[in-house]
Amino acid sequence: MIVAEDLRRVYTMGRVEVRALGGVSLEVAKGEFVGIMGASGSGKSTLLHILGLLDRPDSGRVTIDGTDVLALSDHRRTLFRLNRLGYVFQDYALIGELTALENVYLTSLVRGASKKEYLDRSADILERVGLGDRMNHRQSELSGGEQQRVAIARALVNNPSILLADEPCANLDSQTSKSILDLFARLNEDLDQTIVMVSHEEWHKEYFCRVVTLQDGLIADVTECRKGPRPGGGE
Amino acid sequence: MLAGLRVSAFLAWKSIQRGSRGTLALTIMIIALIFVNLVFLPSIISGVVETFNTQSIDFDLGNLVIEPREGSQYIDGVGSLQKTVGRIPGITGTSPRIAAGVTYFYKGRNAASTLYGITPEDERSVTKIADSMTEGEFLSNGDTDAIVMGTTLAGTEGEEAGGLPSLEGVGVGDSVEVAYPNGEIRTYRVKGIYETQSFSVDTSAFITSREMSGVLGLQDQASIILVKTEVNGREEEYKTEILSYGVQEEVRTFQEKSGGFVDQAIQSFNIINAISTLVSLIIAIVVVFIVIFINTVNRRRQIGILKAIGIDQQIIINSYVLQVLFITTVGALVGIVLNAGVTTYLTAYPLVFPGGPVYPAVEASAILRSIASLFGVSVVAGYIPAWRIAREDILSAIRG
Repeated sequence: MIVAEDLRRVYTMGRVEVRALGGVSLEVAKGEFVGIMGASGSGKSTLLHILGLLDRPDSGRVTIDGTDVLALSDHRRTLFRLNRLGYVFQDYALIGELTALENVYLTSLVRGASKKEYLDRSADILERVGLGDRMNHRQSELSGGEQQRVAIARALVNNPSILLADEPCANLDSQTSKSILDLFARLNEDLDQTIVMVSHEEWHKEYFCRVVTLQDGLIADVTECRKGPRPGGGE
Repeated sequence: MLAGLRVSAFLAWKSIQRGSRGTLALTIMIIALIFVNLVFLPSIISGVVETFNTQSIDFDLGNLVIEPREGSQYIDGVGSLQKTVGRIPGITGTSPRIAAGVTYFYKGRNAASTLYGITPEDERSVTKIADSMTEGEFLSNGDTDAIVMGTTLAGTEGEEAGGLPSLEGVGVGDSVEVAYPNGEIRTYRVKGIYETQSFSVDTSAFITSREMSGVLGLQDQASIILVKTEVNGREEEYKTEILSYGVQEEVRTFQEKSGGFVDQAIQSFNIINAISTLVSLIIAIVVVFIVIFINTVNRRRQIGILKAIGIDQQIIINSYVLQVLFITTVGALVGIVLNAGVTTYLTAYPLVFPGGPVYPAVEASAILRSIASLFGVSVVAGYIPAWRIAREDILSAIRG
């Protein structure tokens, strides 16, 4: 599904060159829930941004579902993000002027879906993430956990091949974080949703199928984690 | 394309609907005032032209004037010339006038101005002075010792007319002495006072041609013949027509007779208008640019997120352009309403110019031109800041 080969990325900050990725190769299979972990500055967010077509490596190759995504024009990359990828950002990144429902169906509007189609689908996903009664609330009227659930619903509305999450629990308390991770795990198991998530919390590991640990822009370790049922899966 | 526009419209509408109401109202108001400014001055210029034309035709010159041949002081054979011109279809009246520069004396005060000798009946067929009497009556054909004078020349007791000829308080029934250029002095009883609001007419006076011809020793002669036509605006055609009837005297339209005075004034007005338009449009550009610039800078991160989730930058830019179009449309509509208010007020209380009262004449072309220019500059001023932010690298925008 995702094949990343020898990704290198160097940022220039003033006169200093910072090596964010020094040759990372990674494969993510369909239906995997992969955690990218590592210390601050290890290159995990850079890797996620490159896999999510938000950034370009200086060299290397990324193939998603057989498409060489680095060869795409900016416009095609935008369409690829719209149709194939879903994002969950650390700080929710909702559009403040839109309600939860509007935030969720915005990308469906771009895809040209009919009103009934995008309303039904968005409402259904919001129900599924537990926000059926908060659909018409705006960002300022939602708690952190609720906002992140809206962001997840937005990321899922177009049935993306891959869900990319950049430290989605960083701003949430542990209880809310757990509910978000449970939601991710459920999506992964029930819908076979491929998820790549950046995290630095050790206890998140129990949710991941595989953990890729980065250190100084290189893969330091790859660990298979969850073997059995997900935490709380029996609930 | 259509789906993209739908999203742009959706984002624009939500931003307008749920954004800052105060900023929106202020921006719309500024655009409205700029619109009023763009329309107001041209409407006043059109009003000046219209006033000048109407006043010239109704009180001063008629549509055309016939003047003596080159080298002659007077037109001879006025009676037969009047008959000739009067036969031309579309000519509704002719009024011969004898003009003399005279000095009026009244209670030790004096004023120099023009005195016209007219045939009252003929004058009524051309000008509306007889309908503009504020006191007394207009002249009759048989009057020999009567004079009617303009309100400025008659003046008001104890008030100077700001450099204009004024006898400061002449009333109907008073006697005024008139000193002619040939040394003759006559006393006339003021039969009426008129007000046309055209300063050259209101500083003049009229007596009958019969009386003036007697004083100046003229016979069937006139300094000028005013010609009234059935419709205004076709003076050039009538001029050609009159000349084709074999009239040897000089025939000029009222515009030619005024010697380009109005043309020069209009040229000056147009320069002022061009500067005013330019300044207004620059203000519009700056206001729209600043509003959209601040808006996009404040939403830099949001724009980055929109791009990250797969929304094309053109959709984002278009959403700002649509916001600008909305602001400009509402601003122009409010401007039209404000302008209607200003126009209504100035129609009730017109600006007083030396040529007469000026009513704003709002032309559809001026409104359309203003709307088009306002939309043009607004779209450009809105597009540029939106484009600058929207083309920014996604991660830089998201990081703010």
